[in-house]
Amino acid sequence: METNYETIVIGGGVVGSGIAYHLSERYKEGVLVLDKKYPMSGTSGSTQAWVWVHNKTPSWYAEFSMYSAELYPYLSKKIGDVEYKRTGGLSPFFNESDREKAQKLAESYRKIGIKIKVLSREEVLEKEPYMNPEVAGATYSSIDGNVNPFRLIDMYMRAAKRNGVRYSAYNKVTEIKKQDGTYLVVSDKGAFKCKNLILAGGTWSREIGDMIGVKIPVNQLRGQILVSEPLKPFLNFTISGLRQANNGEVLMGYSMEEAGFNRATTLDVIQETANMAVRYVPGLRKAKIVRAFSGIRAMPEDGFPILGKVPGHESLYVAATHSGVTLSPLIGTLITELITEGETSIPIERYSLSRFG
Amino acid sequence: MKTDVLIIGGGPAGLSAAIETASRGLDVTIVDETSKLGGQLNQQTQEMRPLPSVYEPMRGFELANKLIEQIKDFNVRPLLKHRVVGFYADGSAGITDEENVFPIKAKKIIVASGAAEKAVAFPKWTMPGIMTIGAAQTLINRDFVLPGREAVIVGSSDFAMETAMQLMAVGTRVKAIIEKQSEASAKEQEKVSELLRNGIPFYFNSFIKEARGNGQVEQIDIEMPDEVITLNVDLICMDGGRMPILDVFYQLGCSFGFQEELGGWVPQYSNTFQTDREDVFIAGNAAGISTQGALLLTGMIAGISVSEELQTISPAEANEMREALWKELGLLEYKEVYSGRVKHLENFTSPVLKDQFIS
Repeated sequence: METNYETIVIGGGVVGSGIAYHLSERYKEGVLVLDKKYPMSGTSGSTQAWVWVHNKTPSWYAEFSMYSAELYPYLSKKIGDVEYKRTGGLSPFFNESDREKAQKLAESYRKIGIKIKVLSREEVLEKEPYMNPEVAGATYSSIDGNVNPFRLIDMYMRAAKRNGVRYSAYNKVTEIKKQDGTYLVVSDKGAFKCKNLILAGGTWSREIGDMIGVKIPVNQLRGQILVSEPLKPFLNFTISGLRQANNGEVLMGYSMEEAGFNRATTLDVIQETANMAVRYVPGLRKAKIVRAFSGIRAMPEDGFPILGKVPGHESLYVAATHSGVTLSPLIGTLITELITEGETSIPIERYSLSRFG
Repeated sequence: MKTDVLIIGGGPAGLSAAIETASRGLDVTIVDETSKLGGQLNQQTQEMRPLPSVYEPMRGFELANKLIEQIKDFNVRPLLKHRVVGFYADGSAGITDEENVFPIKAKKIIVASGAAEKAVAFPKWTMPGIMTIGAAQTLINRDFVLPGREAVIVGSSDFAMETAMQLMAVGTRVKAIIEKQSEASAKEQEKVSELLRNGIPFYFNSFIKEARGNGQVEQIDIEMPDEVITLNVDLICMDGGRMPILDVFYQLGCSFGFQEELGGWVPQYSNTFQTDREDVFIAGNAAGISTQGALLLTGMIAGISVSEELQTISPAEANEMREALWKELGLLEYKEVYSGRVKHLENFTSPVLKDQFIS
């Protein structure tokens, strides 16, 4: 296997593969993606995969997410069907007192051009007839949706490989050295040299940063998800907390726990999740749960993406974020711009690693 | 609910662990998903031998009844038709009666989840009339239902040979034993001889090429070394071996090692039958596929180790008993299985390979 590359991406998840694919569109020099296990075996394969904009705060972060969501239809045209569905997103509330909060959210989003409607009880039930009739209302945004994460990453990989990107899986990076203007990346399967190095290690970002003396403050957050038996299509929207997949399974869960890299499921959270799901959609009480799984999400210390050049290190880039599925087309585009042109079409200074001091 | 010892699985190993712990004054809860304790013993009509020295030779279902009888004197709470569906963050087991889920907090857990049969796939193998040998045995001995009149058996393990004899005893005609290897895999050759004496042909180096039938199996093609023959049958019993049931160990986060002789992936454990989680012990087929006598011994050892941990016997006493039981296990268990077990233990206590654990 070739050992010299123009660019190496560490991490082949939705963020790393998104970057590799977008790079490969523009740029014919060698790109190598290294993955500790196999793309989709970690965070990217254990998610509900919402492409979610609304009720992200503050509004500038929602705006950033919106730009990414806007790229999805085009992405599907380029890399193939990733089962992207712009279903619209519903965030129900059950207390009339939450309506005011929802109005305020809608207000602040209007200024940046994201349309959020605050729906009445009747409007919610008209859109989603199986929703609990006790619902008081919901915020609704038409730009939200979901995607099949396995197809998404698989299509990214296929398209990237067609464009000449190499993947090396089950290949853990053990050491990174800087020598004479190039990076030497030592892995289980050998050492590779590159000019540009992109750290897209997701939940492992902190460990990878440490190898080159860069502090990337990303923590692990566990989410547990329940999967129902395949049911006839009955949910129309991506609801904050659950969605129905193309094969009829309902994915439920919106839990967050600090559990390091422990991917166990626990009955406390499973029961809470089931209660949440039944509260939203009472009909689910009759559904059989076929499995539960957990995923470890990457969570930067302040919750916002860490993107761009690593200050003080030439040709070293970082992309570490929560909501990788939502943001991957935009992050891929922006990092590509940064590498090929030196600047980005929308400002990302706000997301620089330098904010952590 | 609180208990000293939670035993998951009420088969022979779970019951013998229950006897060892409950007889020393511990409060024991057994969870089993079926409606009767005793597990697979309940449909074994053949004589179980060899058994540990404390038991007289007896038939399988008799042994089940004997074990059930023994726990009656002690503080054992059987939760039948209950299942373990997961674990809470504080380590409590989540138990369901299929309606509600409730937690049980145990000081120690012994998992004796047993083994599952593996099927042998061939074209149309999902047709009615095609089942595992265990299923056929359950139909005959527990449900008193004749699974078919004209049968073939795929596989030639001891278990398959016993099932063939039991089928014949209830009037099913066993037309052939089909074995893909060049000789019978049964360790007790006398069973093979007895079937041969009864005129049952063994087709070696052979396998089922295809099954046919309208709504259920009626005919099969058997691929033999030089020819393909067709038989009319309404029952195919297949023996694909057994593998430990591991779900609970995954949920508990136990580590595993691969040991062919024990049935594949098996949780790792030490000579006290303690897994890498100090509150979790293992017994029975889950700790490696073996014979009934050996399964009882593993349950006894696990029970003694738990009793020791909960300080109802002294370490010295426990060691002495464990040593004797291990010695008996060495005598009673098939040699390959025992040496696989010893290797499995060594891999755990002094790992030689890197990255051999999955979890």
